[in-house]
Amino acid sequence: MLKIDNLHAHIGDTEILKGLSLELGAGEVHAIMGPNGSGKSTLASILAGREDYEVTQGSITFDGVDLLELDATERAVAGIFLAFQYPVEIPGVSNINFLRTALNSIREQREEAPLSGKDFLAKVKACAQLVELDGKLRDRSVNEGFSGGEKKRNEVFQMAMLEPKLAVLDETDSGLDIDALRIVAHGVNSMRGADRSFLVITHYQRLLDHIVPDFVHVLAGGRIVHSGGKELALELEEKGYDWIVDAQATEQA
Amino acid sequence: MSEVAAPTQHAALAARVSEACSEAGLVGEPHAEALAALEAIEYPTTRQERWKYTRVSRLLDVVPNAPADLTAPPAILGNLEALRFTFVAGQYITGDVLDEGADGCFAGPVSLALERYPERLKGWSKSDFSTKEWFAALQASAPQDGVCILVPEGKSLPQTVLAHHHMPNGVHVAQPRDLIHIGNNASAEAIIWSDNAAQSAGMLNAAITASVGNGASLSLEIVQDEPGSVHHMGHHHFTQGSNSHLTLRTATACAHWLRNDLHIVQEGTHANSTFHGCYLPNGRQFVDHHTRIDHAQPDGQSNELYKGLAADNSTAVFNGKIMVHKDAQRIEAYQSNANLLLGEQASMYSKPELEIYADDVRCSHGCTTGQFDKEALFYLRSRGMTETAAHNLLVQAFLAEVLNGFRPEIRDHVHAVFSRRLGWN
Repeated sequence: MLKIDNLHAHIGDTEILKGLSLELGAGEVHAIMGPNGSGKSTLASILAGREDYEVTQGSITFDGVDLLELDATERAVAGIFLAFQYPVEIPGVSNINFLRTALNSIREQREEAPLSGKDFLAKVKACAQLVELDGKLRDRSVNEGFSGGEKKRNEVFQMAMLEPKLAVLDETDSGLDIDALRIVAHGVNSMRGADRSFLVITHYQRLLDHIVPDFVHVLAGGRIVHSGGKELALELEEKGYDWIVDAQATEQA
Repeated sequence: MSEVAAPTQHAALAARVSEACSEAGLVGEPHAEALAALEAIEYPTTRQERWKYTRVSRLLDVVPNAPADLTAPPAILGNLEALRFTFVAGQYITGDVLDEGADGCFAGPVSLALERYPERLKGWSKSDFSTKEWFAALQASAPQDGVCILVPEGKSLPQTVLAHHHMPNGVHVAQPRDLIHIGNNASAEAIIWSDNAAQSAGMLNAAITASVGNGASLSLEIVQDEPGSVHHMGHHHFTQGSNSHLTLRTATACAHWLRNDLHIVQEGTHANSTFHGCYLPNGRQFVDHHTRIDHAQPDGQSNELYKGLAADNSTAVFNGKIMVHKDAQRIEAYQSNANLLLGEQASMYSKPELEIYADDVRCSHGCTTGQFDKEALFYLRSRGMTETAAHNLLVQAFLAEVLNGFRPEIRDHVHAVFSRRLGWN
């Protein structure tokens, strides 16, 4: 479903991704862990189409399509969703109006009929329940005055509404207390399915107790340096990243 | 414009305007002080601070042609229940006159009010502007018809008044004056709407003069939706008594070239003024809002919020003056002006002016000019919105603070005009 091959990317003069390769099959959940500054959020941003980064080498193919040829809007239409690490506050736009505009914009671009008001509201209700988002938050301005946990729940709520094929979660666990973490994880888990893949970017193993991945990758120095099953997360929690990063350095030398 | 030729040119403009308005029919006598002021005041140039960005030399070329076609334009805000009055090129066409007698409310054209209640209108054409500003003096020297709202002490106007000023196709000049008088402890709501035909040109030199008595309240929404090429000069003057409330909202939905001068004078203590405005010029349009509030008495409050966008090659000007007089203690005056620049060639000139002569006051002002928040734009696009849809939503959000204060019918109309003009629908 997603194939990243030898990806190199810059921001300004700094090279951040240095030959990253990764493959995700349909229905799989992959976790990406790694030390600060290793390029995790850069990867998420590039997948979603943020224009601050320049890709200098390599390719990303999504469902057979060259993703790098698509802009942010087109990627969303193609079925990619990024849950932001820092969701943006948009005063003056209600959450509901925002979602209706987004959903109908996607449907229009896919040449589908707009959702009826009734169907839309039914869907809002179902998706909001999934992450225990109460009515007040749905009617308030997008993320304005939301707590950290509410913002992240709102991201998962949007994800549920937009039903992506590939969901990228960029440190969705940061700033969450244990209850919020459980709610968010429940929302994500109930969306798992044969047609939907997840790329879960996180610092900590604790999120992966709740969202159990099929594969765990270590991103360091702009490349995937180690991959394994879900047990790798536990090992990383215990031993840190140094042993892998060091081993990698030795191997290269 | 040469120094020597200028007086002749603007005197000639005054003569042409006066002749055209007189031919169509003046309402009341030309104001003697205004006539004198017109002689005495220098024609504005960009060398004067108040006119620095506002080139009125272009108005010297206006040559109004024969009387206008006085067909009533299509109704606006069709579903709104209101007492409606229609004026075309400064002349009264039709309306739902309300006349409760000498002691009651009156809503109708100024011409009719002058006929029926001359004593209630004494001094009606006076405003500070007409002796200080050239164009206001011009207006007062040859005044035409507008809406007149008279609400006597203790009464409420039973229905909203909707005054519709229209400029038809062709090059015309109109100088309507709307007059609002709210007695002590009385109240009224009104909408003053100006629009024009696509092939209209010339000048709309319009005055709104209102007085709000002690303990009285006035809510006025001004909508300027003018797709033609008319130059619009607005002179909006308000005086307020003690404990009075004024809520004034101005939406410049569309204007080829427009200058609004707004002046509010709090003549009594504990007066409260809220004045909000929004504007969105594009193409080569020009919109200039000059506002001034005088806190002449203690314990008054004012809240000013203007928001606007300038797109393409357009220019927007905001100048907000707050004058706190010497004995006007314990004033709270807040002013905010926020702008978005959407075109590389667009210009925005924003200037707060605070003059404070009292020592115990709370005054604040803020002014920002920026561009679309890139992060917000990316967020919206990452949810599948097209750039157009995302822009539209961000503009809606930016203007919401101002637009949501209008009644929903007007809010929706103005938003639709903005979206359509910028191709965001």
